[in-house]
This record gives sequence, structure tokens and C-alpha cells, in this order.
Amino acid sequence: MSLAWRLARRELRGGLAGFRILILCLALGVAAIAAVGMLRAAIEGGLADQGSVILGGDAQMNFTYRFASVEERAWMESHAAKVSEVVSFRSLAVAGEDRALTQVKAVDDLWPLLGSVGLEAGTLAEAFAVKDGLPGGIMEKVLADRLGLKLGDRFKLGTQVFRLGAVLLKEPDSATSGLGLGPRTLVRTVDLALSGLIAPGTLYETDYRLLVPGADLDALKAQAVAAFGDKGLQWGDRRHAAQGVERFVERLGSFLILVGLAGLAVGGVGVASAVRAFMEARVATIATLKVLGAEGSLVLRIYLLQIAVICGIGVVLGLVLGAGGLMLGAPLLAGVMPFPVSFRLYPGPLLEAAFYGAVTGHLFALWPLAQAVRQKVTALYRGTAARVWPKAVHLAAMAGLLALFIGGAVWFSGSWKLALGTLGGVFAALLVLALAGLGLKALARMLARRRFVDGRPGVRWALAAIGGPRSEALAVVLSLGLGLSVLAVVGQIDANFRASIARDLPAKAPSFFFIDLQDAEVQPFLAMVKGNPAVSKVETAPMLRGILTKINGVNARDVVGDHWVVMGDRGITFSDAPPPGTKVTAGVWWPKDYTGPAQISFAAAEASEMKLKLGDKLTVNILGRDIEATITSFRKVDFSSAGMGFVMAMSPSAVAGAPHTSIATVYAEGSAEAAILRDTSKAFPNITAISVKDAIGRVVDALGAIATATVLAAGAVLVTGVVVLIGGAAAGVPARMREAAVLKVLGATRGRILASFALRSGMMGAAAGLVAILAGAIGGWAVLRLVMDLPYRFEPWSALGIVLGGMVATLAAGVVFALAPISARPARVLRDAE
Amino acid sequence: MNTVLDLKDVRLSLKGNAGPVEILRGISLTVREGESLALIGPSGSGKSSLLMLMAGLERATGGTVSALGQDLTGLDEDALARFRRGNMGVVFQSFHLIPTMTALENVAVPLEIAGEAGAFARAMAELEAVGLGARAGHYPSQLSGGEQQRVALARASVGRPKLLLADEPTGNLDTVNGAAIMDLLFGLRDRHGATLVMVTHAPELAERCDRILRLADGVLA
Ligand SMILES: Nc1ncnc2c1ncn2[C@@H]1O[C@H](COP(=O)(O)OP(=O)(O)O)[C@@H](O)[C@H]1O
Ligand SMILES: [Mg+2]
Repeated sequence: MSLAWRLARRELRGGLAGFRILILCLALGVAAIAAVGMLRAAIEGGLADQGSVILGGDAQMNFTYRFASVEERAWMESHAAKVSEVVSFRSLAVAGEDRALTQVKAVDDLWPLLGSVGLEAGTLAEAFAVKDGLPGGIMEKVLADRLGLKLGDRFKLGTQVFRLGAVLLKEPDSATSGLGLGPRTLVRTVDLALSGLIAPGTLYETDYRLLVPGADLDALKAQAVAAFGDKGLQWGDRRHAAQGVERFVERLGSFLILVGLAGLAVGGVGVASAVRAFMEARVATIATLKVLGAEGSLVLRIYLLQIAVICGIGVVLGLVLGAGGLMLGAPLLAGVMPFPVSFRLYPGPLLEAAFYGAVTGHLFALWPLAQAVRQKVTALYRGTAARVWPKAVHLAAMAGLLALFIGGAVWFSGSWKLALGTLGGVFAALLVLALAGLGLKALARMLARRRFVDGRPGVRWALAAIGGPRSEALAVVLSLGLGLSVLAVVGQIDANFRASIARDLPAKAPSFFFIDLQDAEVQPFLAMVKGNPAVSKVETAPMLRGILTKINGVNARDVVGDHWVVMGDRGITFSDAPPPGTKVTAGVWWPKDYTGPAQISFAAAEASEMKLKLGDKLTVNILGRDIEATITSFRKVDFSSAGMGFVMAMSPSAVAGAPHTSIATVYAEGSAEAAILRDTSKAFPNITAISVKDAIGRVVDALGAIATATVLAAGAVLVTGVVVLIGGAAAGVPARMREAAVLKVLGATRGRILASFALRSGMMGAAAGLVAILAGAIGGWAVLRLVMDLPYRFEPWSALGIVLGGMVATLAAGVVFALAPISARPARVLRDAE
Repeated sequence: MNTVLDLKDVRLSLKGNAGPVEILRGISLTVREGESLALIGPSGSGKSSLLMLMAGLERATGGTVSALGQDLTGLDEDALARFRRGNMGVVFQSFHLIPTMTALENVAVPLEIAGEAGAFARAMAELEAVGLGARAGHYPSQLSGGEQQRVALARASVGRPKLLLADEPTGNLDTVNGAAIMDLLFGLRDRHGATLVMVTHAPELAERCDRILRLADGVLA
């Protein structure tokens, strides 16, 4: 057994009593990192799982107007564990005299591959079952009501008769449908064989949902596109399942990475301050070992071994604490989340936390050790450690650990920009905090000489403790300040992020979309709804659907990537004159009765995202026909209000002859909605009404989930941060213990000592808090503007609340932890201190 | 006889809050082998500082300090630590025992560090020599001041150092305990023939030494 290990063990052997505080702080730091990391993984896992459910599979291959060919089908079968086929088209559902437009989804026996169907009653199999020779169909309630159907009643799709088997409450794979389609009818594809609906030439599309557990989606996509891309295959996978919420999911991803890094910073502070306090208490022993002939390397080994053992214990405890705590809270947390968060024991975050705990522990132990071995023994005994530079080897070792730490942060976070940006921010904050700490010390020294201190020993002690030699002020301001700063930044991001979600939700959405209005119906329809006093606004526009396929002759996807405008078909309108309220931002609208080459007016914001210029030529495929049009104007379109919004408006002559219908948006009081629906569907039986409330409800659900996720993640950082700050207060206990003993010997009452300690914590907390508020504002701004591309507004209540909360927690912890010192018998304390 | 300690024009100035403080201002002295020397002088006159310089625990800012023929001024911290092994035993006024180690372990540490065999047996013998064989398993916090200083004495002498340096070894003790410590100290010196330099401000203790040097305000009087 080596000498270093023997001596190290001797110190460790005293039982863990002497190391309780160090181990506690280490464990809390590691627990913070582990818990936040696990939560991040759980939310990401949940989102990924949710992505699959929304999509209906891990990946999806989509074809228009045809089924997959034999080769395509064979490819799918050979690459996926399961393949499910879904056919969608629009059709009229007919029941007696009533008819209504519906979006039909025809499925196979495997559907749904993921998630479950919500029916008002009964099972999917019962609903689809053939009874009295009639296959079952499932309808959304709004559709069944419009057709006046009850369970068991008959309805027709094409020439096939169905019976209503069940009423649909929820489809798992609904988010892909988006807005603007009719209410749903679900049937089995086999039952449509005689309907005459799915025939060559009819407008339908097929989706093949694939389950490919563990597969590399990028590679799979590349393979599929290479093989069938030129045959009209459209690929989708779970990573981009939730259209419309994608932007938020992306931002949530960055937010979660930042949260993980914040947890790391907070946890690192905990570990660092604990190790620092531990090493401080060992300085006299180090000096004695040197007196007795120990070389620096021996001293170093003795303490690094101890740190290794303690880190080991602290890390294990921290992992248990962090993971266990999170798992205990999981049912509760899962209950709050509208989408399933996958709480599992993720080895990644645990490994990460252990790694950081060990590296931080050694890094912060190495610095004081490397200094101590170079210091004169007399200086060590006196505690007047002059600043000496560690030896080159030790500096190199520390640089190595630091590099390991930074490398780890980059590696684990998966985003070097965010990781380095965060670390840069942390270093900047430390710099400002150091200045604040030094300023506080200078201020304390200055105040100590002022008159008002006379006759107030409590104040004098506090000032002396801050301004005097061996002051802990700098260290406390640094660690407390960094902790509070991180919390303040997280608070700012969280508050702004949630505000932006609320802001992006349509504040004044229309009550209904009406689609499939024939030209002849538009005027009577307008007259009818405008006559209703509950209706505040009606808008109509003619609409076709088309796909933007080429930009200046080049495949649009190659030009703008996965921009949503080119990800499928879009509504396109046409008009002689700018519709009322249109703001043309550049170029000019075509003249009235214009019949020249096709022109297009493009939404300004999207155009600038796609880097389109006036004069660019777009190819739009409308019902199989390619139309080439030149962009001649940009206009402002607000897509956030869920009102009418078209990316593209064309000159009427360009699409003359193409079959089209009109859509209308109706804004009305909620109480009148039922009546409007009833009246319009009676008067215009083949117009389809879409309740916007229902449609955006799903989006709202998804956004709500994200808001909850951010609250949860931010909350995890806040809670663990406060716990770590409390741990920091605990680290100061031994020092406090000695001071209290000496002061008591000098005749100070306990109340006075406590008040003095509180005053001291308060002053250091104030310095740390001021910097933290500043850091919160700057950090929040940087993250929101630079990383998330969101507007930033300083949220004073969040900042004040968090910083004050943190300070109060620290102060309270300081008082609680001071209770033991001030009630301890001075004799014992002073004797142990020898 | 050989010269054990040779100080030439030793100066020490340390940075205080209000600029540098001249603590030792040109001290020259030699100590021969087997000699015992008492350093006396008022508090703050620099006695401890001088002793620490002799032990290589403090660095002179001027002049040279050589011990046992080795110039200490040029050595770094590690070399000084190695040099102390087996050459020097130091006793402090405030004991400086390692709080996490028992009396026996405290005494054994210098031998262990020097890599010598039978550390614990020899440490036990040394503890018994100072009359603490029965307290070997006790921690410093469980021992009285006098007992702690006896452990410290045993620890200083266990490696049979040629040079024993003691800084007011009885300063924290009552007269009875103080006298006992002095008896032990001189007993150890006599038995092992070590050279002894002792700081004290008690004249009757200084009288027991071969030679007395008085320090005042950083210079020898
Ligand atoms: N690290 C230091 N910084 C500043 N002054 C010091 C330091 N160490 C000792 N002194 C001063 O040096 C003088 C001598 O101290 P010391 O050698 O301990 O004296 P003695 O042991 O004779 O009482 C004292 O005035 C003391 O205040
Ligand atoms: Mg002294």
C-alpha cells in the first residue's frame, strides 16, 4: 500500500463525519446536473416518441394519386419492422337527403401503429366490424350530427354503404392533417373496394407508416429518396412530425441544452465551493506534513486520493439523489405534461453528471493544492497565503482538466456554439463578480472606519469579516453570484419563451373556416352570415391548392431546404385587386383585368426567409399542371392569427379555368357559433365548416406541452440551484463555528452573533444579487435574440423574484447552519480547531 | 567541532498591510554540533521568524542560512522538505498535531515519509519515552495541552534528527507541564546528542542552555 494512500486513508478513516459537508455539497452539485440532464433527456425522449405518434410511425412514405408499387412495397417490408398503409381523400358522405364533405381516411388492420384511437364507446374492431352485411365507419361528431346520424345508421361513400360504427373523439396521428380539411370519416381500405372512389384518376394520397426502431433515419431517408425520389415519393419522419410546432420544438431543444448547461454551472458552483472549503481546512495539516519532510508530490497525492474517494462517494450519492428524486417526481411531472414524457434511467445524463462531478472536484482541489505545495510553511500556518503560481506541470494538469471540462460540455450538450457561448458567459459573469467581490471588500474596509460603526460590534464584525484578511467575501460572492446569475438567466429565458408562445397563439381567431364554396354560393353565403348580428367579420377568397415545385427553374427544395412553404401543397388565391387590408411592401400588384404572363404576389416575411427577390420565377403545380409565374410584389401576411392567409396570390388569368372553390372565415361570438353552423349547413349542404377552435386546439395542446416543459426544466434548475446555494452556506459552517466560539469567549450574546452573521450574508448576497440581475438581463437577451431568435423583454419580476428568493434561501440557510455554531460550546470548538 | 548552523547577515522582510516590515535585520551566528542555544527577547522581536529560517520553513530575503553544511537559501520547497527528513525536528508553541491522526500515527508520520522500516514500533517506543504509551490511540482533541506537546516532542525526535528546533515549547503550558516538557526535551537531546535551538522568553528555561542569545527588534543584542 503506498504511503500516500495510507496517509489519505488515515484522514478519511475518521469516518465520513469530517467530510459530511463536502460530500453533501458534491452530491447536490452532481444531483443537480443529473436531474436536469435526465429531465432534458426525458422531454426530448417524449418529444421524439410524440413525434412518432403524431406521424403515426417512425417514418412515412407518401405518394400522391397512387399506391406504392410492388418494388416500393418490398423495400418498405425489408427495411421496417411494420408497415401500415393509410389512404386519404376527400369525399361526400351521403345520408338520405343530407350530404356533407368529409376527409376520408381508409386504414388497414395495423392502424394505428402508435398511440390509440379515442372513440365515444366500443373498440376499433367493433366499430369497423361488418354487421348485417354492412361494414362499419367512424365519424367525427360534428359530421355525424350534420348528417343526423346515430350509431348503426347508414351512410354512403361513393357507391358503398356503411353503418356508423362509432363516434371519433381523437385520432393519434392527427397533427399531419393540419388545418383546412373537412371533418373525418374513418373506414377500412378493404371496405372501399366496391365504392368506386379509389380508382386511377381520382385524387387521393397514400401514406405508408414505417416502424423502424433504432434505425438511422437520415440514412434510411437518403436510401428511400435515392431509390424512389423521382417517382413522387415524399419522405417524412418523426423528427419533423409536428408541423406548426416545429419551430417551438427546435427552440425547446436549444432551451433544454441551455438548461442542461445551466444545471452544470450551478452544480459546478456547488462542487467547487465545497472542495474549496475542504481544502482551506486542510492547509494547516499540509503545512505540518511539510514540516515533517513531505514533498509536494506526496502532499498532492494524499489529497487527490482523498478527493477521488470523496468524489466517488459524492457522485454515487448525487446520482442516486438526482435520478431517484426525478424518478420519484416522475408520476407527478408526467401528470402535468399533456404529452407523455419518457422518464427512464438515461445512462447518458448520469454519466455526464458523474464526469462533471469528478472533473470539477479535482480541478478545484488541484488549484489550492498546487499553490499550497509551493508556499512557505510559515505562510500556510498563518493563513497569509500570498499568491504564488503553481508549478508548470500542475498548471498543465489544470489546463488539461479544464479542457476536459469544456470538451465534455461541448460533447454532452451536442452544440458547441451553445456550450462555448454559455461557458464564455459564465467566465464573463465570474469576472464581473470578482470585481463586485473586490469592490465589496473595499467598501467594507471603508465603512469599518466610519463613525456609525462605533458601539455596534455586530456591524463591525461583519465589516471586518468581509473586508479583512482571510475574508471569504470574494469566494462567496463568486459562487453565490454565479448561482444566482444562472438562475436569473434561466428565469428570463423561461418567462420570455412562454410569453412568446402566448403571443404566437392566435388571440383573435375566427370561429369557422368554410370551404368548398362554389362561386354561385359565395354571395348568398355572405348575405346570410353578414345578416347575423353575432358575426363581427367575414372574409372570403377563392382558393386552389398547389405545390411550389421550382424556383427559377431549380427544384425548390434544393433552393430553400425544408422551408415549410415548399413542404407540401399550399392554398393559393387569385384576385384582380389587392384584397381589402392588403399591404404591398414591395413591387406593384397587377392591373385590373390583367391577362399577360402569370404574376405572383408573395408573402413578404416568407419571401425574405426564402431569399426570394422581385422578378424571381416560380413554378407552381396546380392539379397536375405546371404554372410558371413571376414575382411582381411582396405583401404582408399574418399567419399567426389563424385567419385567412395565403403565401401566394396569383393574377386571375393565370389560373383561369382551373376548378376552384372559395373559402370564408367567419368571426363570431362563441355563443352564436352553434346556430351559425346549423343555419349555414342547412342552407348550403355541400359547404364544409371547420371549427377553428377544434383545429387550433391541437396546436394549443402541443404548445401548452412545450410551455409546461420549459416551466418544468427551468423549475428543476431553480430548485436544484437553491439547494446548491444552501449547500454552499453549509460549507461555511466550520469557519463560522470557530468565529462564533471566539466571539462568545469575548462575551458576545448569541443573538448578536447571529445578527452579525446575517448582516454579513446579506451584504455579500446583495453584491451577488445585483450582478445576477445584470447577468440575467444580458444572458436572457443573448439567448433569446441570438439563439432563439425571439424578441426579448426584461422580465423584472422574474429577476427580482429569483434573486431575492435565492438570497433569502441563502440567508435562511446561513442562519439555520449558524444555529449549530452559536449553540456549540466554545471550549470544544476551540480545542478541535487546534 | 563541526558547525551545525551558520547564518550570515540574514535578513527577512515581509509584506505587511502598510508596506514591507523589516523583521530580521542582519543576523549572523553559528551553532556548533551538540550545543544548546536559547533565543530570548521580547515578543515580536523576531525569534520565531529566526527559528523558522533555520528550519527552512521561511525564506530569507537576504544573507545565507546553512544547516549541516547545506545552504538552505537555494533550495525549493520540495528539496527543503527532503532535507528536513532525519535532519531536523521542529516543535511549535501550538503543537500542530494532525487532528485526523492518533498520537501514534502522528509520531510515525516522519518515519513513514522518510520511508523507514518499522515506523510504528519505533513511534510506539518514542511515545513510551515521553510517557504516553497508554494514549497512543487517542486523537489530539482527546489530549491535554501538555500531552499534545509531548506527542509533538516524540514526533520531532523519532527520526533522530541532528538538529532540534523548538519555538516556545512551553509557552502554552502551565509551569508543572512546562517543566516536564523541558525535562523531556533535554533528556532527548542528551540521549541522542542532538543540537538544540530553543526560543523562549522564560529566563529560567534559557539558563539550562549552553548559550543564550538575545534578540531585540530584529537584531542580536
Ligand atoms: N507574515 C507576516 N507578515 C507581516 N508581519 C509579520 C509576519 N510574520 C511575522 N511578522 C511580524 O514580524 C515580527 C516578528 O514576529 P515573530 O518572529 O513571530 O516574533 P516573536 O516570535 O519574537 O514573537 C512581528 O512584529 C510580527 O508581527
Ligand atoms: Mg514567537
